[in-house]
Amino acid sequence: MNPNMPQSELSASRDFRRPAARVAGVACVVGIAGLAAGVASGYSAGWEVFFRSYLLNYSFVLSLALGALFFVLLQHLVRAGWSVSLRRLAEFAAGTLPVLALLFLPLVIPLWKGMPGVWMWSAPDVVAADPVLQAKAAYLNVPFFLARCAFYFLVWCVLARYYLHQSVAQDTDGQPRRTLAMQWWSAPGMLLYGLTVTFFAIDALMSLNPHWFSTIWGVYFFSGCLVGFFAFLALLVYLIQGRGQLASHITVEHYHDIGKLAFGFVVFWAYIAFSQYMLIWYANIPEETVWYLPRQGDTWWLSVSLLLLFGHFVAPFLALISRGPKRRPGLLALAAVWLLLMHWLDLYYIVTPRPSGFAAPAAPLHLTDLTLFVGLGGLFVAALVWPMTRWSLIPERDPRLPEALAFRNI
Amino acid sequence: MAAAVGEVDNTIDIPGQRAALILGGHDFGSLTAAACAPWEAPRPPRAWYVAFTISVALLAVLGAMIFYLVFNGVGVWGLNNPAGWGFDITNFVFWVGIGHAGTLISAILFLFRQKWRTSINRFAEAMTIFAVICAGLFPGIHVGRIWLAYWLAPLPNQMGMWPNFRSPLLWDVFAVGTYATVSLMFWYVGMIPDLATFRDRAKTKWKQVIYGLLALGWTGSSRNWHRFERAYLILAALATPLVLSVHSVVSFDFAVSVLPGWHTSIFPPYFVAGAIFGGFAMVLTLAIPARALFGLKDIITPRHLENCCKILLLTGCMIGYAYLIEKFMAWYSGNSYEGFIFRARALGPYAWAYWTMIGCNVLAPQLFWFKWARTNLVAMFLVVMAVNVGMWFERFVIIVSSLSQDFLPSSWDIYHPSLVEILTLAGSFGLFLALFLLFCRFLPMIAMAEVKTVMPHADLHAHPHAHVAPHRAFDYNPDEFDAGRGGAAARRSPRGPS
Repeated sequence: MNPNMPQSELSASRDFRRPAARVAGVACVVGIAGLAAGVASGYSAGWEVFFRSYLLNYSFVLSLALGALFFVLLQHLVRAGWSVSLRRLAEFAAGTLPVLALLFLPLVIPLWKGMPGVWMWSAPDVVAADPVLQAKAAYLNVPFFLARCAFYFLVWCVLARYYLHQSVAQDTDGQPRRTLAMQWWSAPGMLLYGLTVTFFAIDALMSLNPHWFSTIWGVYFFSGCLVGFFAFLALLVYLIQGRGQLASHITVEHYHDIGKLAFGFVVFWAYIAFSQYMLIWYANIPEETVWYLPRQGDTWWLSVSLLLLFGHFVAPFLALISRGPKRRPGLLALAAVWLLLMHWLDLYYIVTPRPSGFAAPAAPLHLTDLTLFVGLGGLFVAALVWPMTRWSLIPERDPRLPEALAFRNI
Repeated sequence: MAAAVGEVDNTIDIPGQRAALILGGHDFGSLTAAACAPWEAPRPPRAWYVAFTISVALLAVLGAMIFYLVFNGVGVWGLNNPAGWGFDITNFVFWVGIGHAGTLISAILFLFRQKWRTSINRFAEAMTIFAVICAGLFPGIHVGRIWLAYWLAPLPNQMGMWPNFRSPLLWDVFAVGTYATVSLMFWYVGMIPDLATFRDRAKTKWKQVIYGLLALGWTGSSRNWHRFERAYLILAALATPLVLSVHSVVSFDFAVSVLPGWHTSIFPPYFVAGAIFGGFAMVLTLAIPARALFGLKDIITPRHLENCCKILLLTGCMIGYAYLIEKFMAWYSGNSYEGFIFRARALGPYAWAYWTMIGCNVLAPQLFWFKWARTNLVAMFLVVMAVNVGMWFERFVIIVSSLSQDFLPSSWDIYHPSLVEILTLAGSFGLFLALFLLFCRFLPMIAMAEVKTVMPHADLHAHPHAHVAPHRAFDYNPDEFDAGRGGAAARRSPRGPS
């Protein structure tokens, strides 16, 4: 730490504890209320609808936490200096993973109990009638699925806890060896991260249509996680600075870089989505096109597809390509809200359509989609903000913090 | 250790400090002298002559093989009915892949502010251009009647004949053409200040005139520099998507088909990762001897080599991931043809090529998890040579195994390359190396102007004798932060406390 820097300036975030506790409390209440409303609306709509909506909104908050975990690992892997003052916020966001692991239970308990959940391959009668699913039963079966999910969440929770705890411990002792240890673990951590996120995406999302397969699927989910996370980070910094915090630690230069990364991953998402779509469209093999069929077969889903094309790629591409909007926090926050909306829409597009040949619910969009968004979103925000009542908003004694504070783009 | 990479170890990382990127106590003047030395020496080292003689001999073989091909037709190759593509397209994809590292280093690492790129970017860019030249050769000669190769381009003609715009082979023409053009511009524009240095140091009239013309009247004024840096940034931004698009389009050549082993959605990013992997291996293949031969060990330091090794490890893991996902999906899809081709690759007639690929591309780079391997020249060179071999075999396995054993066993046929094909491949290395050796001798191999920007002397706030401290941060020194705190406060976020 820079000895000449007044303690008050670095620890300005201590004033934030009371408002943070208030926000966490309100978010928790709103979250529980949202979940209750979700259960109530699910009760009338049917449990299949409820679990779909739950998985959709769960994937949304999980993707933000996974994006944050990637960001933390990446900053250590490349020994980044510019981002140190942003890193604690990402550590907090990744730190929600243990809570999210608990929130995953409602999706798997029905499987455990032998009830049909959201994944149709878990129903024995469906598998008995389907030779394709019988061939995949060695992978798509309930015990193995549960074991895999336990492994994914174990890896994520351990990584997220480790990085958060090392980082806050450094606030107290200022040991550079903690930085070295975090760097050392970042490379194997990244390897584990890549594999677990990929197979989670296959298990939780791709297997919603258990006949369908796409080798790029893990990368597609990952790219969406990163778009969502960078948008969320921009918005989070904007809101926290709106409370008068971190004013001199996170400058317009950091907004600019968050904006660049958001822009970069918007393009990366489009690249991956295009690669998947174009190759499947061009080859036109029924066993692959079957996934796109319900997604552009009627007006509603065709509109969603086109909205993704223009809203998830074209509009943010044009909005974020020039320097100006990335250096205006208000505009960047606006773009971030839009990107989060589009990221939700992308997951909606992935999760909600039923495979061809299965009865679709009466309406493509249901009240549970909204109530559970409020519910899971509220609990996610509560889990994110709660640590802010205990720990500083920046890694106060990270050896590279001065670089971040002095950081300027060319 | 006999093969230790250098005397000063700048691979040690102290959090909060940035390691020196240029060693040997250089200042701007001595750096220029060191970087110009290969060009100013009255004659190149003996090893250069040996390498150049071998390269030109191989180039002559290439010429002879192409003449032989043109006069006799593609029948002189070992292609057969199912395997219509063999060494030709394998070599094309191999060389295009190698052509990726230069632009990645120059453009993407530039946008990511990776300052270590400056020592290696120039010759990596040159390598890119030469690799793309080698790559461009193969689609040109494999068309059979190569005097009609210009039909690849959409030229207006009285026959009203157009290429098929839905064919990825045509997209290739555009993708590689655009990439070659932008890479060449990027390389040349970046070289202008250094060409002006050569002009100013030239001793003979001829050299003054030639380098003077190439330097485009560069004076080094602030206006020159301002425009140069704008142009460089814009070209970097244009080149960045091209790094991804070229090999993605190359992967489309295969992936838009319905052939098992070719048609899979991960191909575009997988090919890009593989290209960067192969490209960095070639960068190291050339950098390790070149830095020794031309006395550039202070500029291309152990840290640069170690960073390249880390990128090799990263991209090696990425293609390992792609192999894994492909295999998994071949099983998971339940498609018996997909399952067959992946079993055939591992156990069939091309199993030797497949296991060479796995060993060289996935297993060999795992050595780079250990720092001793990343800082030991012998280990490093062995791994990068393995990667060079492995990446060629990867394309061979993909192309040939899928073609020779397709849906109907009655049409299967094993492909055996002819001697002409093997010699053509060897000859393409001659073309590549001859161009590279000429570049080392006649053009600025080190981006002097850019390297200077990452030296402590370029930091306006640096202490007068900063260069004596080997651990000196190149971009930021915490001590200076005390003095500059007023400045930091002035740059407060626009959303200050409300």
